Amino acid sequence: MTEIPTTRRLDGHSALITGAGVGMGRSHALALAEAGAAIVVQDIVAETAEETAGLVRERGAKAHVMVCDISDVAAVNAGVEAARADLGPIDILVNNAGISGGMAKFDDIDEAYFDRVVAIHLKGTFFAAKAVLPDMRAKGWGRIVNVSSIDGMVGCPSSAHYCAAKAGVLGLAKAWAKEFAPWGITVNAVAPGYIDTPMMDGLLDDAGKAAHVAARIPLGRMGVAADLTAAIAFLVSEEAGFITGQTISPNGGEVIVGF
Amino acid sequence: MTENSTNQPANSRFDGQVALITGSGKGMGRSHAETLAARGARIVVQDVDRAAAEETADSLRAAGGDPILAIADVSDVGAFAEAIRAVEAAAGRIDILVNNAGIAGGSPAMEEIDEANYDRMFDVHVKGAFFATKAVLPGMKARGGGKIVNIASVAAMGAVGSRAHYCAAKGAVLAMTKSWALEFAPWKINVNCVSPGWVMTPMVHAVTTAEWRKTHIDAEIPLGRYAEPWEVSALVAFLCSAEADFITGQTVSPNGGQVIVGI
Repeated sequence: MTEIPTTRRLDGHSALITGAGVGMGRSHALALAEAGAAIVVQDIVAETAEETAGLVRERGAKAHVMVCDISDVAAVNAGVEAARADLGPIDILVNNAGISGGMAKFDDIDEAYFDRVVAIHLKGTFFAAKAVLPDMRAKGWGRIVNVSSIDGMVGCPSSAHYCAAKAGVLGLAKAWAKEFAPWGITVNAVAPGYIDTPMMDGLLDDAGKAAHVAARIPLGRMGVAADLTAAIAFLVSEEAGFITGQTISPNGGEVIVGF
Repeated sequence: MTENSTNQPANSRFDGQVALITGSGKGMGRSHAETLAARGARIVVQDVDRAAAEETADSLRAAGGDPILAIADVSDVGAFAEAIRAVEAAAGRIDILVNNAGIAGGSPAMEEIDEANYDRMFDVHVKGAFFATKAVLPGMKARGGGKIVNIASVAAMGAVGSRAHYCAAKGAVLAMTKSWALEFAPWKINVNCVSPGWVMTPMVHAVTTAEWRKTHIDAEIPLGRYAEPWEVSALVAFLCSAEADFITGQTVSPNGGQVIVGI
C-alpha cells in the first residue's frame, strides 16, 4: 500500500476567519477548530464573535476574539497583531466577511452603498491578507481562501456592486496564487451558490426560496453552511497543497461554467 | 504510514460504498483506489491489463480490503458493460465511478497523429468514459444517488502546442461532466471533474530527467514542484464524498498554479 501522508488535521495552525460571528463564517470557524486549529474569530459585532469563540473553545480549540470593521485597515492591522500575540503566527486566512447586495437595482445603488459593499468584500479581503502575509512567508506555508459567489462568476440582474466585488475577490485569488506561490502559500476561492443562511433570510421568504430552488437548482435543494465549509476545510488542509488559483463552487448545479 | 481514518471528517468516508475506478491497475488509478479504500470503500479494480489489476487488488487486500476485479477494455462497450453487470451482481451496487482510464500518447505534432492514434485517444477517453457512465447509471438512478468523477487534464484548459488529439479528448471530458451534471441531478447523482497538472508518477520519473523537470518547473509551475499522486487522489476522494453533495458540474484543477483560467 502506498504511503498516504494526507490529513485534514490542522493542529499547530492558527486560522483567521473574518465575519465568523454568524452564519457561514461561524460554521467555517467551528470546522477548523474541530480539525485542531486555533481560531481568530473576527467580526464587527462583539456579542456574536464572543459566542462563536465560546463554541470554538467548547471544541477544545483556542479562540481569540477580534472585533473590528473588516474594511478599517488600521483596526485590522491592530487586531491581527493582538491575535498573533495571543495565538501565535496566523497561517490560514478565510476571507469570509461580507454583506448582501440586497437585490438592489442599479438606480438604487448610491455612492455610499457602492463604497460599503466594495470596501467590505474587496478592501477587507485585500488588507486582511496583507496583515497575515508576513506570518505565512516566514513559515513558508500558508492557506488563503477567498469567499466569492456565483454572482461573481456569472452576474445577476441586480446587486451589480456585489457582483463586481465578488468577481474582484476571484481576481485577487488568481493574482495572489501566482505572487505568493514561492512561499508555499496557496490561494483559492470558493464561490457558493444559494446557501440557506441568516443573510439570505433577509432576501427571500420561504415561498421565494422554494420557487428559487425549483426554478434554478438542479440538485433540488438550497445549500447549507456545511456544504461550503467542507470545501474550505479541504482547501486549507495539507490535502490541497497543489491546488492554487482555483475556484470551487458548491452551487447544486445552478452555475456550470468555466472549467 | 498509511492514512489514519481518524484524520478524516466522518462524511468524507465511504463505508458500505462500492467504487469503480477505471484504469486502476496502475499509476493514478491505483492511487485513487488506495485512497478510497483507506476511507472505507470497496473497490472495483477495472483494467484491461489483468496482471496489473491483480497487483492493485493484492495491495488493497494487504490493507484489509475486499476488491473486485473487472477485466475489460474500457473502449469495448459490450465487454465493459458485461463486466459491470457481473460486478453489480457480486457487490450489489456501484455508488462511485471514477473515469480515470487514459493513455498519454506522447507529444506528437499534427503530422504525426494518424487516424489510428486519433481513434484510440477518443475511444479510451471519450467513448470509454461515456459508456462506463452509461453502464453504472441505471443502478445509481435506481438507488437515487451516486458520485461520478471524470479525470481531465490541464491540457484541456490551457493551450498545449502539440498532441491535439489528447487535448480534444480531454476537452470532451470537461463537456460531458457539465452535461451529465445537469441531466443526472434529479437522481442526486453528482458529476464533477478533476483536471490535474503535472504529477510525479513513476512514468513521469522514468521519461524525464531531473534537469528537464527543474527547467520545466521553474518556467511553468509557481508552486515549484509536481503533484504527488496522493494529492490528486485526495481531491478525487473529496468530490466522491458526502462533503461534496452540493458540488456538481464543476472542475477542480490541482496544478500548482500552472493553469489559472476560467472562474
